[in-house]
Amino acid sequence: MKTSLLVSAMMAGLVGLGGLAVTGTAMGQDVIRVGAPLPLTGPLAPDAAKQQQGYNLWAETANAAGGIKVGNKRMKVEIVYVDYQSNTPRAVQAAERLITQDKVDFLFSPFGSGATKAASSVSEKYEMPTIAATASSEQVYDQGYKYLFGTFTPNQTLTEPLADMVKKQAAGVQRVAILARNDLFPLAIAQEMEKSAKKRGMNVVFFDKYAIGTLDHSAALAQVKAQAPHWIFATGYINDLAIMKKQMADLKIEAPVVTMITAPAFKEFIDATGKGSENITTAAWWHPAARYKGKDLFGTTENYNKLFAAKYKIEPDYSPASASAAGAILQMAIERAGTIDRKKVRDELAKMDDMTFWGPVKFGPTGQITSLEPPVIQIQGGKHIAIYPPAIRQGELRLGVK
Amino acid sequence: MLWLQILANGLVLGGLYACIAAGFSLVWGVLNVINILHGSFIVLGGYLAFYLHMHFGVHPFVSILLAAPLFFALGYALQRSMINRMIAAPVLLTLTLTFGLDLMLSNAMLTAFTADFRKLILDPPLGIVSLGPVVLPVDRLLAMVLALALTGLLYLLLSRSRIGRAIVAVRMDREAASLMGVDVKGVYAITFGLGALMAGASGPLLAMIFPISPLTGPVYLGKAFVICVLGGLGSVPGAMIGGLALGLVESFGALWFGSEHATTLSFVLLIVVLLVRPEGLLGRKGYA
Repeated sequence: MKTSLLVSAMMAGLVGLGGLAVTGTAMGQDVIRVGAPLPLTGPLAPDAAKQQQGYNLWAETANAAGGIKVGNKRMKVEIVYVDYQSNTPRAVQAAERLITQDKVDFLFSPFGSGATKAASSVSEKYEMPTIAATASSEQVYDQGYKYLFGTFTPNQTLTEPLADMVKKQAAGVQRVAILARNDLFPLAIAQEMEKSAKKRGMNVVFFDKYAIGTLDHSAALAQVKAQAPHWIFATGYINDLAIMKKQMADLKIEAPVVTMITAPAFKEFIDATGKGSENITTAAWWHPAARYKGKDLFGTTENYNKLFAAKYKIEPDYSPASASAAGAILQMAIERAGTIDRKKVRDELAKMDDMTFWGPVKFGPTGQITSLEPPVIQIQGGKHIAIYPPAIRQGELRLGVK
Repeated sequence: MLWLQILANGLVLGGLYACIAAGFSLVWGVLNVINILHGSFIVLGGYLAFYLHMHFGVHPFVSILLAAPLFFALGYALQRSMINRMIAAPVLLTLTLTFGLDLMLSNAMLTAFTADFRKLILDPPLGIVSLGPVVLPVDRLLAMVLALALTGLLYLLLSRSRIGRAIVAVRMDREAASLMGVDVKGVYAITFGLGALMAGASGPLLAMIFPISPLTGPVYLGKAFVICVLGGLGSVPGAMIGGLALGLVESFGALWFGSEHATTLSFVLLIVVLLVRPEGLLGRKGYA
């Protein structure tokens, strides 16, 4: 069996090889280059594709308008992508390489809270203004860094309105079961949910973590079922939650309220689970039903939806919208600074207090946005219906998930 | 009664695992080739079922009948044209070859199908059966039965048919088999074809239960690897026992230690087996 150990070691080695592949082109005088390390291949590839859609739409829209206004001239935008293959340590290398070798002017963070936190130390070291489009966990922003800005509000801004709503509109909900992916963001938001539920006098009767890459949840779900919960709260990414929903149906698990974060906000989740997705609730940082009138290049939310649908033939969800918002916010800061000087642009970001298609933008002292009011969304009739906040409400909370 | 449900879950899962591993174990045991392509073959079989179902309404069970000869031919051709050329080389070289082929296949699938997770949704769904307090989904149950049937057929083929005996003979002693007039290269190609057949045929079964994506290939491969070491190489009953053991360990592990440790537990078991009984639970006695 020595060979099998050797073989395993070698397999690990082979997988680890590969290196970084860069896309992107010419370096010009009148071009603003923004680096974007993304997990374009590997398990997070579906999520990276959404980010790329958002960044590309921003760059194309800005360039179609002649570019970004910097003082008296206009500069085109170019996004330099680096694939870090869903491998966090490599995301850090990618960020450093973008700054030191590709000499980008600004940076977008890699995907998710974990990789964003890991890469933020590099951008801080080089004093590189960096916008994180997919990092919500407060632990990302607690290092006292000055150059990191995030477009997602903290996790409890998602769980608090959700718990409020369930408490008010579904009086019998007492027993809560929580099942979380053992990963920075999914676990952090599950812990916030536990707090939000307990604060409102609900009982958390089950709390379990599952490993990244789990395909079979039936053992955990059998235990959930034995607890007969009123509210099942599950966290993970698209693949995790699509599998889990199917296996819930297989075990005949029903509950008045089933909430999943993040996947149900994506159309892919509805496609993957069919009728099983009906009445599942989720919370996100944005919904296309919002009606903000922004001062950024996209202007209104409606206009953003229109541009997105024209290019990609689908309605945007919060994920690419956040990427576009990161670009739009960076553009506003550059235009106000009138220069691409990193320090000045950073100062403009820090004092920004403005409306965009993404919502009101104001960053707190840690760099994380504080001004959004994240919506609660429910899948009704195979569509995403905003049920909170009242300003954008399209329907009422419905109970009963089969 | 919870443990009854967990037991049932574990057994059903174990049946699927046995099916994943049988072909992999056969190829490893007979050819001494670690076929890294195995996981991607399963995924490709899944896509075949997915597209046949979407465009022509073909039931995944029917797709198996199509997948079986198709993948056998693919495996046979691959062995004849490439792997046979370096079959006498050390195991790491053939591993590198199949690893390279797997990189090509999985990247081709990423390009053709994208990394999106797709789900084969049966309408109406097959539903569930309740046996007292135990609830079992019909698709898993049928898939398990079929998986066991496929594995059983492979066992019969190896133990009863002329070609099966030739495969076993080559497995036991290549030179002696060759001296007895067995066409060793032909047997290798047929064996590899059978391994690919088992992978391709389990694809449609798994497609009913798990989402399909090129990214799940390595997951299946990892399971097959563990099962083979648990059960013993090159033996069909070994794959069956290894599969059932893994299914049960994962299920009860999740119950006793929490889901996050289910996989850890299966690897701890793997290490224990390697230390205590390195030839696997069923050893190398029964070559079929």
